[in-house]
Amino acid sequence: MEDKDLKALWQRFEEKLDESLVLQRKNAQAISQLKIKSTLTSMRPSKIFTIVVGILWVVFVDSLIIGLWPYATWFFLISALIQVILTKLAIGIYLYQLILIGQMDISRTVLETQEKIAALKASTLWCARLMFLQFPVWTTFFVHPNMLQPGPGLFIQIVITASFCFVALWLFFNIKYENRDKKWFRLIFEGNEWTPVLRAMDLLAEIRGFRREDLEEEYV
Amino acid sequence: MSGVGNSAAFQELIEQHRGILYKVARAYCPLEEERQDLIQEMMIQIWQALPRYNAQYKSSTWIYRIALNVAISHYRKTTTQQRRQQALDANALQGPEADSNEKEQQFRLLEQFISELKELDRALMVLYLEDRSHAEIAEILGISLSNVATKVGRIKDKLKQRFSQHQNQSNGR
Repeated sequence: MEDKDLKALWQRFEEKLDESLVLQRKNAQAISQLKIKSTLTSMRPSKIFTIVVGILWVVFVDSLIIGLWPYATWFFLISALIQVILTKLAIGIYLYQLILIGQMDISRTVLETQEKIAALKASTLWCARLMFLQFPVWTTFFVHPNMLQPGPGLFIQIVITASFCFVALWLFFNIKYENRDKKWFRLIFEGNEWTPVLRAMDLLAEIRGFRREDLEEEYV
Repeated sequence: MSGVGNSAAFQELIEQHRGILYKVARAYCPLEEERQDLIQEMMIQIWQALPRYNAQYKSSTWIYRIALNVAISHYRKTTTQQRRQQALDANALQGPEADSNEKEQQFRLLEQFISELKELDRALMVLYLEDRSHAEIAEILGISLSNVATKVGRIKDKLKQRFSQHQNQSNGR
C-alpha cells in the first residue's frame, strides 16, 4: 500500500461526515447561548470539597493534639501527629492539582497540555502512597503504657504494628510508575476509577519518549 | 480573528472546520453515542478558549490542538469494558458480510490499525492522513520538525506492514 492509497482511504471519512454535521450545527448554536462547564473545570468542585473536608479533619485532629497534650499518651500524640502531617501533605497535593487545573490551557500544543493533564492525574497516586503510609498509626494511637506488660498481648501488638509498618513503607516506596505492570500493582489499582491514572502514567512515558527523540533529533 | 468570543464567530469557526472534530473524535472514540458527547466537549472547549485565540496560529492548527487534547483526555477515561467493545467491533470486520465492499473493508482496517496506535502516535497519524504539512504537525503537537518526519515515516511503515500482514492472512485462508 502506497502513501497516496492510505490518504485516499482516509478521505472516505468525508463521505461519512454529513450525518454528524447537522447535530454539530445544533450543538454549536446551543453552546454559544448557554453558560456551560467543561469536564476539566467540573473536576474543581470535587477537589475543593475534598480540600475542605481535609482541612476540617486537620483542624479537628490538631485541636485534639493541643487539647489532650497534657493528658494523652505519647502513643496517641505521636500517632495523631504523623496522621495529621500526612493528611496535610495530601491536602497540599490537592492544592497543587487545583493550581494545575487553573493553569490549564487546552489550546497549547498537544504534548505540553497532555503532559500537564497526565501529571495532574498521576499525582493522585501520591495520595494513595500517603494513605498507605498512615496505616501503622491506626494500630498505635490507642496503646496505653499498661498494655506494654510482657505477654501475648504485647507480642500480638508488636507483630501487627511491625507488619503494618513494613507493608506501608514497602508500598510507599514501590507504588511508582516503573512497577505499573506488576501483578500486585494492578491488583491494588484495579477498577475504573484508577484507569485514567494508570493511563496517564502510560501517556507520561509516551510524552517522555517524544521529548527524548526530539532531543536526539536535535543532536543528529 | 475579529470579534472573538461572540456566537457568530464561534459558529463560523465550527462550520469551517466541522470535519476536524468528527475525524479526530472518530480516531479516539469508536462508540457512536459517546462520540457525540466527545464532539460536544470539544465544542465547549473551543467556545471557552475562543477569547484566548492567538491569531499567530492558523485557525485549523488551533482547532486541531483543542480537538486532540480533548480527545486524548477523553480516551484516557475510557474503561476496559469500552475497549473490549472496540475489540468486538474490530472482530466483527472479519465476518463474511464485510468482504462485500473491499474499499470499505480497507477503510475499516485503517481505522482499526490507527486505533491500535498509542495516543500521540495516533494524533501524528491522523494529522498526516489529513494532509497537514510537517511544519503544522510540529506546531500542533509541539515537537521538532525532524522528529515529525522520523515518526511519521516509522508509523507509516508500521501501518503498511499491518496491511500486508492482513493481506497475507486473507490470501492464506
